[in-house]
Amino acid sequence: MSEGNHGGIDLVPTTRVDPATKSVVASIRGEIDLHNSPDLRGVLLELLAKHEPKRLVLNLSQVPYMDSSAIAVLVEALQKIRKSGGRIFLTDLQPRVKGLLEIARLDSIFVVAKDEAEAMAKQ
Amino acid sequence: MQPAHPTSPPHVDVKITSDPANIAEVRRTVEQVATSCGLSEQAVAEVGLCVNEALANVIRHAYEGAKDKPIVVRAHCQDRTLVVTIRDWGNGVNPATLPPKPFDPLEPGGLGLICLRRMMNEVTYVPQGDGGMLLVMKKAKQHPDAGRNSERVHE
Repeated sequence: MSEGNHGGIDLVPTTRVDPATKSVVASIRGEIDLHNSPDLRGVLLELLAKHEPKRLVLNLSQVPYMDSSAIAVLVEALQKIRKSGGRIFLTDLQPRVKGLLEIARLDSIFVVAKDEAEAMAKQ
Repeated sequence: MQPAHPTSPPHVDVKITSDPANIAEVRRTVEQVATSCGLSEQAVAEVGLCVNEALANVIRHAYEGAKDKPIVVRAHCQDRTLVVTIRDWGNGVNPATLPPKPFDPLEPGGLGLICLRRMMNEVTYVPQGDGGMLLVMKKAKQHPDAGRNSERVHE
């Protein structure tokens, strides 16, 4: 199942939704900057509203680049999911994305995991 | 994006409109110049991010989201240093003079300026007589003072 292509942001979650644990695994594909970060925002907020996950795993293996506008979107999603007691896990960070998260000091705010399996195993 | 003055690498001189759709192409173009200048892969990535963030600041703040305003981006090598300039004709607000706010990871506004300060060797905002702004950013081939730079504001 695909959530569709939103202006270049290709969210391909075969959305592994696990109702028992209220977990959602989603992949994002493409470079994200001010041009398409509003699309990412729409996708993530829709995902949160639809599935109300306690654990949202975002696989960023196919995101070679993002800027501060994408960071702002991730933070907004984090604040929203936190209100319902949920958490966001970021996996498979590419070097440029990892570097920006470190500068933004978000590597300690989000749960960063090596891959999806590690994210799903984290408590 | 159209060249204002056709040049050969490692120079670039382009005039774009303030449409966010133009950011990625300009970033990649300047990254190519940085690579041609001999900057390391990490330095090239940092330059690209800084160009991205500087353009985004112009679009969001100087032009308040308007997509049809002019921006001129130039980049060239000079004495083992990459020099990037970004000229706008916006509201003339100098980001370097805005009061700093405590950094909060959950309030990511201002992150772009932080990137500029940390990743470039020199960041200079030069207010223009016509009300716009000229941003001059410099990145040395070898970062002599990693994590530190100088920031000067010319009135």
